Amino acid sequence: MIRVENLCFHYTKQPLIQNMSFTVDQGEIFGFLGPSGAGKSTLQKILTGLLTTYTGSVVVNGIEVKHRSSHFYEMIGVDFEFPSLYEKLSARENLQFFSSLYQTHQEIEPLLESVGLLQDAEKHVSDFSKGMKSRLNFIKALLHDPALLFLDEPTSGLDPTNSKMMKDLILREKAKGKTILLTTHNMYDATELCDRVAFIVDGKLRALDTPHNLIQSRGASALRYTYLEDGREVQAETALNRTGEDGRLHGLIQENRLLSIHSSEPTLNDIFVELTGRVLE
Amino acid sequence: MKIRALLIGDIRFQFKYGFYLLYLLFTVIYVSLLYLLPGAWKKPAAVLMIFSDPAAMGLYFMGAIVLFEKSERVLSSLAVSPIKPTEYVAAKLLSIALIAVLVALGIGLGGGVLSAPFSFVTGVFLGSCLFSSVGVILAANIASLNQFIVATIPAELVMNLPALAYLFGWRPAWLLVHPSVCMIELLENGTLSLPAAGILTVWTLLAVWFAVRVMEKSLRHLGGVRL
Repeated sequence: MIRVENLCFHYTKQPLIQNMSFTVDQGEIFGFLGPSGAGKSTLQKILTGLLTTYTGSVVVNGIEVKHRSSHFYEMIGVDFEFPSLYEKLSARENLQFFSSLYQTHQEIEPLLESVGLLQDAEKHVSDFSKGMKSRLNFIKALLHDPALLFLDEPTSGLDPTNSKMMKDLILREKAKGKTILLTTHNMYDATELCDRVAFIVDGKLRALDTPHNLIQSRGASALRYTYLEDGREVQAETALNRTGEDGRLHGLIQENRLLSIHSSEPTLNDIFVELTGRVLE
Repeated sequence: MKIRALLIGDIRFQFKYGFYLLYLLFTVIYVSLLYLLPGAWKKPAAVLMIFSDPAAMGLYFMGAIVLFEKSERVLSSLAVSPIKPTEYVAAKLLSIALIAVLVALGIGLGGGVLSAPFSFVTGVFLGSCLFSSVGVILAANIASLNQFIVATIPAELVMNLPALAYLFGWRPAWLLVHPSVCMIELLENGTLSLPAAGILTVWTLLAVWFAVRVMEKSLRHLGGVRL
């Protein structure tokens, strides 16, 4: 679906994107992670055809992006982090307007129903809660049934219920075969949603793999346990792949003296910090 | 071409945001004022009203619309849609020009001062498109209403002063190169209406071209999402 090869881009002499290569397969959820100023916004502008003065190759759905026509936008949908809606128009009027800009149209009623907004269709967007606006913004990106979705911080600022609903919506689109590029600072979301993630720092791709492989590749899984000794609780730790060598643990198990025991994997955030030396916020 | 869809969207937006109601009110007030004026004053007063309001106010209304769309981030969505900057600007200009022509006709007919409809409508339409294009150019790179109002001051002076001088009797022939003067000449259906129409068309096309270029750059700047 997307093939990026040796992509370089600069506004000034300072390069913003340096020799970046990756592919995104159809039906995949691909996450971009990186701190502010890492080059993600620039990369996004290139992938959505807004910046065309790059070198290298960026092919989206068979089209070299620098040679795109306006028809290119018929096959991509973008859900921005903040709602981009006419506040004084109703939800239905917003969807009708944006839908009228495309050749392909999905029915508005089922879309509204799918995100629980059908009964609020005639309400002004200004009367919507943040969660409702986010859901409306999301289906706005689906109006023309695009094959490729760009989602920017899709769960940002949402309460747990709305966040869960949004993640279910994203997974539902993936199940339909759509390719999804998303960004999030929320490592739990990235781990939960993304098939693969790319770490971007200073315009360079620092790592690209599945969240599971990234976590496992560091080999840092540990087993932590606590037990009583001289009347007080003591905590100990051993590498998960060396538990057989921990005589103390064996003894504690045989004597039934363990108070707690659990495995502990590094999070994606830990891996990001370890690989890039940067934090995501 | 998405102009039709954009135009319908713009008219709906302007209706919802009260532009039509506001201008209906203006028309009633202006026509009432014209009835209160002595006969000899009616025509120049009507020309002044039409020049200063439905036609020239496009600059402010267009700026307000673009700033509204920026503040509601709608421009970001439009930047990643199949619409072209030319279509976006054209729809905006046509929607404002439609109001301008309707209100100008209302004032002209209501005040009983409309004698040459073709020249009159041409002047209002082209003038509205010209002023609205300037509104787009000014608003495209500005974030707040206050900044926009400050930016309009020099534009208003340059565009309005020669027209006002012409309207109040200072009429050297060379002043006809000024687009607002051409507009006055067309509204009055003066003896130089034909060259005025040509000159105003050239100025308007230049302003529209420049507005499209500026908006193209602005959409490109807005369109990328922060990943």
